Amino acid sequence: MSVNTPAGPVDAASPDIDAIDLSDRDFWAEPPAVRHAVFDKLRAERPFAFFDEPTMEGMEPGPGYWAITRLADLDAISSQPAVFCSGQGAVSIQDIPADLSEFYGSMISMDDPRHARIRRIVAKTFTPRMLEQVVDSVVGIVDDVLAEARAKAEAGDGSLDVVADIAAPIPLRIICDMMGVPEEDRLLVLNASNTILSGGDPELTDEADPLTALLEAGMAMAELMGRLAAERIENPTDDLTTALVNSEVEGEKLTHQEIASFFILLLVAGNETTRTAIAQGLLALSENPEQRAAWMADPSMDKSAVEEIVRYVSPVTWMRRTATQDGEVNGHSFKEGDKFLLFYNAANRDPQSFENPHALDLARTPNNHVGFGGHGPHFCLGAHLARRELAVTFRRLFEICPDLEITGEPARLRSSFVNGLKRLPARLTGER
Amino acid sequence: MSRVQVDRERCVGSGVCESLAPDVFEIDDEGVLQVHREEPAADDLDGVRDAVQSCPARALALAE
Ligand code: HEM
Repeated sequence: MSVNTPAGPVDAASPDIDAIDLSDRDFWAEPPAVRHAVFDKLRAERPFAFFDEPTMEGMEPGPGYWAITRLADLDAISSQPAVFCSGQGAVSIQDIPADLSEFYGSMISMDDPRHARIRRIVAKTFTPRMLEQVVDSVVGIVDDVLAEARAKAEAGDGSLDVVADIAAPIPLRIICDMMGVPEEDRLLVLNASNTILSGGDPELTDEADPLTALLEAGMAMAELMGRLAAERIENPTDDLTTALVNSEVEGEKLTHQEIASFFILLLVAGNETTRTAIAQGLLALSENPEQRAAWMADPSMDKSAVEEIVRYVSPVTWMRRTATQDGEVNGHSFKEGDKFLLFYNAANRDPQSFENPHALDLARTPNNHVGFGGHGPHFCLGAHLARRELAVTFRRLFEICPDLEITGEPARLRSSFVNGLKRLPARLTGER
Repeated sequence: MSRVQVDRERCVGSGVCESLAPDVFEIDDEGVLQVHREEPAADDLDGVRDAVQSCPARALALAE
């Protein structure tokens, strides 16, 4: 049996709780079953576990963090943004250095009132109704990507890489399309978003110094977006960029810096996450062939199946919050300045909330997972889009590539932040 | 009669409600939540309860 899919409870040897260190980079290279066993242990025995911060070159390590693993605790923290803020950093354990926050200081790491102002402006371009207009283009892009993957595999020996040929291009093309990024700039966008979300995995950044690489990627994106925004002010089109340069709330427009930061956020938040859900989702399906067959035969399962894939995969592993005051949450006291990592992967396998939590159950209902975030103002802006992309991708995959077969072990990203795959070898058997 | 209540201070216009109960909720072109039926039809009540539960900003309530 593959290590990725424990059918019942995780059966990896019960870990020694005092030896657990979530800040150890090697922990994130462990097979999924080992990591899940560790989170099961923490959730059951030490739901507020304290860890020292990982060391990162060029940065002073901070005071450490609480690891939140129970869904009820995670939701309690997420839904009190005034007590548990995002403004001191939501996507990094360290506080954001000033030179990086210029590009990365986007709404995901902001608090009210700034967050609410920007969220209200951009939210109106991401509503279910606005998305109806992009559905046709989602179907078109997915079909194109799958046709290209099929042609490429058939021109060779039938083999392909699920990540590079299917999972990566779909969300990238959809976001670039929505924003109106020209064809010739799309490779730059892919490389920059890889760097930004790699969490320093050396295979994905050529740069020896991850901070320099981050800074350069941010600058390249900001430059591209500045150019695009200026063009759209001159020549409006029907893309998202045009909507953003023109949209205002209570007479206020976004500044160019805010638009550039938002673009970067969309690209990084929308690409790697959706790519991960597609690639890890396909892996999970290949490990659960009876589930795959049931879903393939029944399009009415699309909705619940997509939710289950997001729960099961948990593409984003954690977000951070910081206490703005002393207090107590679910019987646990904390001090102002304490950091909390909300482990979505662990909460999404909480037996208090999910029956048989380690099993993939594509018909699971209800499924109140926190893969897109817990209750709170930062709940994933792109959730409607992501759901749509995933439903279309899997349905079209079943139709266009029913003969897709995973042929080897995945290469996993060694990142604590994104549950990503670098490669997933597959082939088209030609049997339809 | 059940009545939908919106906390305007909390609403971030995420549109989660609209995807669950499209006949009752809509985020308009200004990004503002419009409640089309403050007293939802019986058929819509399940969707509305879902929306109240799922609202990421906890901005909705249903007074029953
Ligand atoms: C399966 C795919 C996705 C997953 C699992 C995911 C997950 C998440 C999570 C966990 C958060 C943080 C929630 C919090 O802090 O409470 C988030 C925020 C966000 N996501 Fe996603 N996301 C996905 C797809 C997308 C897409 C496609 C886009 C846009 C194109 C997007 C844009 C954003 C933005 C802008 C935020 C920040 C919202 C804010 O701070 O108000 N995401 N997402």
